[in-house]
Amino acid sequence: MTRTLNRTRNRSRAAHPTPPRAPRARHARRVRPALAAAAALTLCAAGCANVPSGGQVITGRPAERAERVDDPYVRLIPVPPRPSWGPEEIVSGFLAASASFDDDHKVAKQYLDVQNSWKPGMRPYVTVLQNRILDPHVVKSSGGEATVRVTGTQLGTISTDGQYTAAPKDLEATFQLARTPQGTWRITNLPGEEKSGLLLTKDDVQRAMHTVNLYFFAPDQRTLVPNGIFLPVVNRETLSARLVRALLAGPTSWLHGAVESAFPEGTGLRGVSIDKDVAVVDLTRQARGGSVERMSAQLAWTLRQMSEIKQFRLRIDGETTAPAGMDATQPVGGWAGNSPDGQNPSQLANQNAYVAGPSRFLGTLAGDHAQPVVTGAAGRLSHPVVAPDYRELAGLNDKGDQVFTAAPVTGAPGVRPLLTAHRGARFTAPSWSRDGTLWTVESKADESWLWVRPRGERPVLAAHWGLGGRQVLAFRVARDSVRAAVIVKLDNRPQVQIGRIAHAQDGSLDVGSFLPVSSEMEDAIDLAWRDYQTFAILGRAKHDSRSLPYLMPVSGAPISSLGVGALGEPRTIAAAPGAPVLIGTRSAEKDSVCRQRTADKSYSEWICPTAAKDPSYPG
Amino acid sequence: MDRAKRLVRRGLGAVRRVVRGVARRGYKRWRRSIQVRIVTSTLCISAIVVAILGAFLMQQVSSALMDGKVKAARLQLDDGLAQVQRDLGNTTTEDGDRLSATADRLKSRSGPSGLYEVYIRDTSEKYFGGYATNELRQESVPRRLREELQHAPTGSRAYTYGRLTYVDGGAPERGLIVGGRTGQFELYYLFPLDEEQRTLTNVGRSMAGVGIVLVLLLAAIASLVTRQVVIPVRLAAQGAQRLAAGRLEERMRVRGEDDLARLARSFNDMAANLQEKIGELEDLSQVQRQFVSDVSHELRTPLTTIRIAADMLYEHRDTFGDPAVGRSAELLQSQLERFESLLADLLEISRHDAGAATLDAESLDMRDLVLRSVGDIQGLAERKGSKVVLQLPGEPCMAEVDRRRVERIMRNLLVNAVEHGEGEDIVVSVGADRDAVAVAVRDHGVGLKAGEGQMVFDRFWRADPARARTTGGTGLGLSISREDAQLHGGWLQAWGEPGAGSQFRLSLPRVAGAELRGSPLPLVPPGAGDARPLFAELEAGE
Repeated sequence: MTRTLNRTRNRSRAAHPTPPRAPRARHARRVRPALAAAAALTLCAAGCANVPSGGQVITGRPAERAERVDDPYVRLIPVPPRPSWGPEEIVSGFLAASASFDDDHKVAKQYLDVQNSWKPGMRPYVTVLQNRILDPHVVKSSGGEATVRVTGTQLGTISTDGQYTAAPKDLEATFQLARTPQGTWRITNLPGEEKSGLLLTKDDVQRAMHTVNLYFFAPDQRTLVPNGIFLPVVNRETLSARLVRALLAGPTSWLHGAVESAFPEGTGLRGVSIDKDVAVVDLTRQARGGSVERMSAQLAWTLRQMSEIKQFRLRIDGETTAPAGMDATQPVGGWAGNSPDGQNPSQLANQNAYVAGPSRFLGTLAGDHAQPVVTGAAGRLSHPVVAPDYRELAGLNDKGDQVFTAAPVTGAPGVRPLLTAHRGARFTAPSWSRDGTLWTVESKADESWLWVRPRGERPVLAAHWGLGGRQVLAFRVARDSVRAAVIVKLDNRPQVQIGRIAHAQDGSLDVGSFLPVSSEMEDAIDLAWRDYQTFAILGRAKHDSRSLPYLMPVSGAPISSLGVGALGEPRTIAAAPGAPVLIGTRSAEKDSVCRQRTADKSYSEWICPTAAKDPSYPG
Repeated sequence: MDRAKRLVRRGLGAVRRVVRGVARRGYKRWRRSIQVRIVTSTLCISAIVVAILGAFLMQQVSSALMDGKVKAARLQLDDGLAQVQRDLGNTTTEDGDRLSATADRLKSRSGPSGLYEVYIRDTSEKYFGGYATNELRQESVPRRLREELQHAPTGSRAYTYGRLTYVDGGAPERGLIVGGRTGQFELYYLFPLDEEQRTLTNVGRSMAGVGIVLVLLLAAIASLVTRQVVIPVRLAAQGAQRLAAGRLEERMRVRGEDDLARLARSFNDMAANLQEKIGELEDLSQVQRQFVSDVSHELRTPLTTIRIAADMLYEHRDTFGDPAVGRSAELLQSQLERFESLLADLLEISRHDAGAATLDAESLDMRDLVLRSVGDIQGLAERKGSKVVLQLPGEPCMAEVDRRRVERIMRNLLVNAVEHGEGEDIVVSVGADRDAVAVAVRDHGVGLKAGEGQMVFDRFWRADPARARTTGGTGLGLSISREDAQLHGGWLQAWGEPGAGSQFRLSLPRVAGAELRGSPLPLVPPGAGDARPLFAELEAGE
């Protein structure tokens, strides 16, 4: 500060020089700018060599944190057979090595006799085991040949199209081995009908294969339906090409007939090349017959699972093709209108939840208070669910053996009885699909029927119902109207299963192909579709003493608990994309609706500020 | 094929020629210009300095980068080893699954977007070689590192550099590999160094760019500075050249007060002094010449009177009674003749000095001229006992010459030859070529000592100072002859060797005033002395 003052004084002296000093002053004036420039240069040079210690705040958006197909993964490193190994060791080594997809199972093939044409490839048939096989034992041995038997617990199988089917049973398999002229043991014959199958443990599958979604069109031609498959992820370079090839191959057996692909029959892939973050998908000329828009939508949704792809370009027979009115280079985040969660995700995000209020009304949840919307008879329904288009609502009576509908969703509309259950049967909470169709399952202890009521028509029974002999506790149609989640009692143990709704050739409904989603839940009370790839579930996981809310990925990935804190006795759960998960609980004879204190944090604690029950989101 | 080859060869030849030309020109410029030399050496030296500095800096940057990387890697490894220890402890059951779970936890920051790859291995496991993250090949961990760890005590860490290879056929990249062992587990972190490589490449490129700019800047500065010095020096050199060429009024421009200005001022002072001195000398010589000319003229009139009187005395010498008086009259007569010719020569030479001599050229056959001159001195030669041998070409040797002057030259040369010929033969040869004619007069007398070839043409010079001035010519003959030859644009040269005699050669251009390039006759007579002339062929007038 003082220096600055001094300098100012000096300058003023220089500016008004006394006559005898004039030459010196002029000299000083000429020298000073040069000195100042030198000082500035020195300062600048000194500053350049340093890391900045201050400056403005630079903001950035967080990287999208979603589970990606190409997240980091761990690969098993196989070891080649040693010459001294006996038959059991060879079999153990082979089973371990077959979990490695490196170089097309190069190491595992070294365990085989040269004549064996075992070729699992990149879309293998896999038998999934619970644990590692630790006890291969020789059952027969004669000179140069041996038979080795292994035993284990099978969980299911993955077919060559990537579809997992649960099929728990005890597995027993035998390997034939022979001694080579060099004196080492090699496998000559593998077990199973699928001669190119793999025997992998659950861990191996989790490590070596990822579940990826292929997207196909629902019958409404707008909504996409995810079709989860297992794909080995050994090689990132070829992953995108394999993904597109799987998409072109069509839906798996599970969704076959329920969904449509926009790619014409016989369309092949000429190649996928990735330049920076733009993938160029080159299809064979058969693709000319298909709609570019719909093919682009399927590709966009399928490719967005790869983190390195941000945009893609569609080529048919080497010729770049653009959807009408759009750029040839499309972002993979586009085609939001075809989302499996419905046509307009932004509208879904701020939709209101409906609850059955304490004084017998149907209300929307405004903050923590239930705002009455429907009163009168319609307000007294239990498990009320409003249709996605807000034109109708449906609910049960208190006993749960009658289904009512009411319209419109305001004031005090009259109720119309729709269905009455058989003696001893009850209805599940009604579920709406996008087109206004109402679904509910009537279920007894050993029997169930699926009722379907298209809008403006009489309810009918679904012609084919895959769970006819079982008790069904919950039935929820997904927002894509193709998949349906159920809680079904198997051997007195409620299990979450997912099935698909298909329309048979004659127009009759086929609801079936139910598959278990996860084996981690011991018990389940209620479930809701949080978004197209996650359920919100009330249930008990292993080692749980009471029911708690969980998030369960449809893909069968590990479940994660939702929130912390006491919930009393949870009974119903409601969820929607981007909206908080709501739980209807009962504790000390009082119903309340609980939410998380901070909705977007999975570990946020539960609070129950609203006195109401049976929360639901429209749809 | 051949044509193509020929074309290529021709092209190569042209290129080589061009390159050689450029190199030669460059070398010439380098030799001739201080500026080019200084700029070139500045370029070279600064380039070397910058290169050394750059290499040093790169070394520093790279080692700093690597140090940081190694430090971070070791911290990461410690972290990972602690995790492995925590997870796997000393249990031995179901190691495969637990190992897999641990690897799963370690992978979180691996992969293409991550910082490193991980390879974990259970040395007690028989059926598989551990787990690696992503596409990493297990071969990426060099054998030397594994062996080092195997033999090291548990808990030790080691690191090395190697190449990371991947199963997806991606290009191998350089990497830093750190490894550690805890119990039966070996844990390796592999850090790809491509980011560092890119940083280094960027730094290197920018440094190269800065270096080039710096070197060019230095060269430009050197060029500018030398220019400031060289240009005045060049101007001074030009000025000196012009001054030497006789333009005495040449001066340098003085600017400022620096050393160069001082140089210019000194140069100008010198030039002014020189001009003044030369002017004074010229004036002096002019006065002298005028004086000689005037004296000669003024002497003429009384001489004529004396001559008439002397002639009369001489005619009547027999009438004097005393023979001594007659003898004196004879003496007077001969000395008067000598005085007259001396005066004539003086007048002639003063005419030459004053630039008043004119050439009265006509086309003549040199042979006739030589013949007549030889005929004139035949009597004198016979008296001296010398024989004159003529060597004349068959065809005419025509040249535009001033008869009177050439005859005077010939007479001078021949008389000289007879007088110094000691009675030996005198050879007179005539030669001609396209541009010039030449006459050489050779005697076999005492010859000339070294250096006398030039002195013979000096005024009043005598071969033997002891010889009385009474004999021989006036001492101005050869001087006048030389002036005459020069008036024709020709040369008059002398050669001589003690004991071998001497030769005088007159070379004249065929066209009066044309430039003479050479002579048809040799200056040194064939067969005389050694082939090497004692003094170089000197061009008259130079």
